[in-house]
Amino acid sequence: MFEGLLDGYTRSLLIFAGINVIAAYSFYAPFKTGQVSLGQAGFMAVGAYTAAILTQKFGMPFAVALVAGGAVAGVVGVAVGFPALRIKGIYLLLLTLGFAEIVSVIVLSWDYVGGAQGFRKIPFNRYTLDYVIVIILVLLMLFARLERSSLGRAMDSIHQDETAAEAMGIDVVRIKLLAFGLGAVIAGLAGALYAHHATYMDSTTFNVMMGIEILMFVVVGGGSTFLGPLVGAAVLNMIPEILRALRDWLELVPVAWTNFFPMNRVYDFLHDFLDFENAKRLIAYGIILIIMMIVRPDGLVTRDSLRRLAPARWKAKHA
Amino acid sequence: MPERSANGVCLAIEGLTKRFGGFYALNELSMQVATGHIHALIGPNGAGKTTFFNLVTGVLPADKGRIVFEGEVVDDARPSKRTLRGIARTFQNIRLFPHLTVLETVMIGAHCRAFPSVVGALGKAVLQPPFGEAGEERTMREHALELLSFLGLASQQDAKASDLPYGEQRKLEMARALATQPRLLLLDEPAAGMNPHETLELDETIKKIRDRGITVVLVEHDMRLVMEISDRITVLNFGTRIADGVPNEIQSNPAVIEAYLGEDVKL
Repeated sequence: MFEGLLDGYTRSLLIFAGINVIAAYSFYAPFKTGQVSLGQAGFMAVGAYTAAILTQKFGMPFAVALVAGGAVAGVVGVAVGFPALRIKGIYLLLLTLGFAEIVSVIVLSWDYVGGAQGFRKIPFNRYTLDYVIVIILVLLMLFARLERSSLGRAMDSIHQDETAAEAMGIDVVRIKLLAFGLGAVIAGLAGALYAHHATYMDSTTFNVMMGIEILMFVVVGGGSTFLGPLVGAAVLNMIPEILRALRDWLELVPVAWTNFFPMNRVYDFLHDFLDFENAKRLIAYGIILIIMMIVRPDGLVTRDSLRRLAPARWKAKHA
Repeated sequence: MPERSANGVCLAIEGLTKRFGGFYALNELSMQVATGHIHALIGPNGAGKTTFFNLVTGVLPADKGRIVFEGEVVDDARPSKRTLRGIARTFQNIRLFPHLTVLETVMIGAHCRAFPSVVGALGKAVLQPPFGEAGEERTMREHALELLSFLGLASQQDAKASDLPYGEQRKLEMARALATQPRLLLLDEPAAGMNPHETLELDETIKKIRDRGITVVLVEHDMRLVMEISDRITVLNFGTRIADGVPNEIQSNPAVIEAYLGEDVKL
């Protein structure tokens, strides 16, 4: 898709952004029932390694490996989901974090998948962008339907008060397991796509930082509607590009305006600040997050903002 | 409503015991609730009334004893399974879903009847028509609206549950519990936070619930309400039963008056 339209750089940018969107939905699924997981990168690793073993070692087609990656991650997800049922909040955070660490240690010490050398020469998949677009569309449809369904409402009720939901006959155990397993499947798909685009991975690829970033996509985008993860992942992935554009714009400022004190200092600071590639990028990221949490703690997209944007006719029908 | 009971007994409690550390919240409690009755459970604070509710609904496990609902032992069932069998409750410290609307809250109660299986619910969610409302959804909505108007909350259906005044939140809890189509309803201090006018309405509401064929067990401190509507009253103190009878017997029972109400209190 879009062969002639996109240069390689933009294409790669879109692919990684798209994989991040999928990863954001893998966090959103369990989060809908109130389960906060920092271990989604671990499930991505399970999917990535499963798929890469199948394509590289057994020569299977990517489509088969992708499905297998999602399935194996899902099975592991349900297995992790069982102990996760009993614990909540910060303890669940630690359990999922521990799971991701276990996965990375296994990968590091397993020579079959390259061990410390990393998994090399994974077959490159030319159609990653197409897969990414299709999977995102399917996920959007799935979560949009979930949001309008009784099951989705039951998930919201579990998120808000698990004891009350259980007392009202909601099968909290099964629904939480379903949500956790679904999140793991989606993460597995994202991992398989990543592996066959990057063609190399090692035990540090799917690390804690990635787990935290996935969480941030949903926190920034908003976890109360199905559009939040999409918007959050898209916006956070665009930040480096926006900063780059701002810096190019800054460089257009005539030298005569900035070659004296204090404007030279201001110019240098802004120029460095907008350089997402250098270490200061973390500062920019951090500042944006802090502002977000103060201005819109519920995320960029909330139910109320969607309600305001809805067309008048729809409002009249559903008011 | 078909009569589903073992010899007219809706709920039978046998030797129920619950300890918190060394403290016996319930100690060898045995009692029976007759089908179709409004059965009040009274006693001073800490007598074990709410613990009783938590054990019957399965929120807490019992240390000893049996809970028999309509002739079947329910001891090992999770709370959601007991709700499916027909036991519903309200909470003393209101537990609504703060971000759901009033209507959505009641529809949560209806979910377990419309979708007893999670896989079925997922299938319906994925395969629903892209526009308009699925059939189950409409049935649930109509059922919920009927219950809201029964409790006088129909005009508030789009308000957020947490924005309702306290007394109406209690009514909403009752509507949500009724939406699970129970045959036994446990009401934990339904009159708390209601003004006298609302409490008078509550008399009628609870009687109407009973007239729908639902057995009601009621924990309440408002003695006027208890004496007015109860068919039978059980008095607890320190986790054991100290009296059991119709309202007139309880009012004149010296043990009750002394242990629960203090001496020289006229009911």
